Amino acid sequence: MRTMLTPRSVDLSITNRCNLNCTYCYHFESKGNSGRDLPTEDWLHFFEELNRCAVIDVTLAGGEPFLRKDFRELIDGIVKNKMRYSILTNGTLVIEEMAAYIASTKRCNSVQVSIDGSWPGPHDAFRGEGNFERAVAGLQRLKAQGIPMTVRVTIHRHNVDDLEAIARFLLEEIGLPSFSTNSAGYVGQCRSHSEDVQLTIEERTRAMETLLLLNEHYNGRISAAAGPLAEAKHWLEMETARRDGDESHADCGQLRSCGGVFSKMAVRADGEMVPCSQMSHIELGRINQVDLKETWQHHPELLRLRERRTISLADFEFCKDCPYIPYCRGNCPALAYTLTGEENHPSPDACLKRFLEAGGRLPERRNQPQQDCC
Amino acid sequence: MPSSQALIANPLIVLREEFDDWAILFDPDTSHSYGLNPVSVFIYKRLDGKHSFEEIVSELRSECQNAPDDAETDVQQFLDDLLAKGLAGHAAQQR
Ligand code: SF4
Ligand code: SF4
Repeated sequence: MRTMLTPRSVDLSITNRCNLNCTYCYHFESKGNSGRDLPTEDWLHFFEELNRCAVIDVTLAGGEPFLRKDFRELIDGIVKNKMRYSILTNGTLVIEEMAAYIASTKRCNSVQVSIDGSWPGPHDAFRGEGNFERAVAGLQRLKAQGIPMTVRVTIHRHNVDDLEAIARFLLEEIGLPSFSTNSAGYVGQCRSHSEDVQLTIEERTRAMETLLLLNEHYNGRISAAAGPLAEAKHWLEMETARRDGDESHADCGQLRSCGGVFSKMAVRADGEMVPCSQMSHIELGRINQVDLKETWQHHPELLRLRERRTISLADFEFCKDCPYIPYCRGNCPALAYTLTGEENHPSPDACLKRFLEAGGRLPERRNQPQQDCC
Repeated sequence: MPSSQALIANPLIVLREEFDDWAILFDPDTSHSYGLNPVSVFIYKRLDGKHSFEEIVSELRSECQNAPDDAETDVQQFLDDLLAKGLAGHAAQQR
């Protein structure tokens, strides 16, 4: 895989602050939650460098990005510097004027709102009382302005049995074209509440089966880059390949996940550049102090992560004698780091062999209308 | 296009060079992107309102050993295409 001359897109954590304190927040209790928020002029100055580097998309995240008082000014800076943008939000602070303003820029790729239930119970269980209603109201305001929106459903122990109702609510009642799913992972604040939040093996098995059925029913309108739906699809392919004795699959057998470091990077709220917002412990230098293009092309940490693809799974004791090696990509390096202390290691959380050994079962193979790739 | 009139690249469009001299032109207002091969990138970078058509062709011939005999036609077609898509325009006349 070749590295682009400059990143195509950059994820910007524009604030460490949030009006909520979700039990499984990936941001709090991570290195990403460090230092003070950068002042407006620092971001605006950096946007000029992004323009010179011909970056075409930025994603604004946090914390909660709508908490920034200078939010419009930042968007104006992005527009002025010839970029498009997406926003990741908990949805609770989306007021009508802001939705109208976003629509007026005509540069918004999408606003992603987190909604974890079809009714307040499962959502508010971990995000706080009243926040389901607020998030849905925010979503409706975005919809009224015709802004492209998506919803991310984080699957956990309180909504794993609400998935059918969630799909009906989002796709039929709200009328979204699609939504995406993942599951609460062992990162950030979730590490302290793992037992209450993270799916058991039995629940994971159930979620995979249900999501495959729902995705078939809704003709591919549910997507996933990680979590039960993504795992169900990928693991079924791996199991079929093993049973059929296939040759090694393309892009498998080494630590091939993920390709992010070849086309994108991220910046923390304090201005530190990092390879990805989930790998905020790897510091690459401050914006406006070090050169973005130089960092992107030559920083030893980025080169090390890109080299990851040459490391064979067969070299790990962890993968010893695993029949899935020729069909496996080793999974997310950020999750591998939180679980093993090493990015260049297979992630135990998304390991098919471990899942089966722990009593997990693969669902029946179904015709999936759409492929997701991480 | 009168062959001597200089063209200028649309300043609202992003020229994004990705690998090995290949690039894309990206329109942030529409999200559309257009792939450019290395020769097209060479030409696009000279749409500065100063280079005439003849100068672009002549620089192309001197830089690119394998330029075909009918390079003018190819360059003309490419420029017409850019004009039609709004990716370039005529430079304002200097008085
Ligand atoms: S998960 Fe999102 S909404 Fe929840 S506390 Fe973290 S940043 Fe805020
Ligand atoms: S042990 Fe797990 S991570 Fe390693 S090859 Fe097997 S399935 Fe993949």
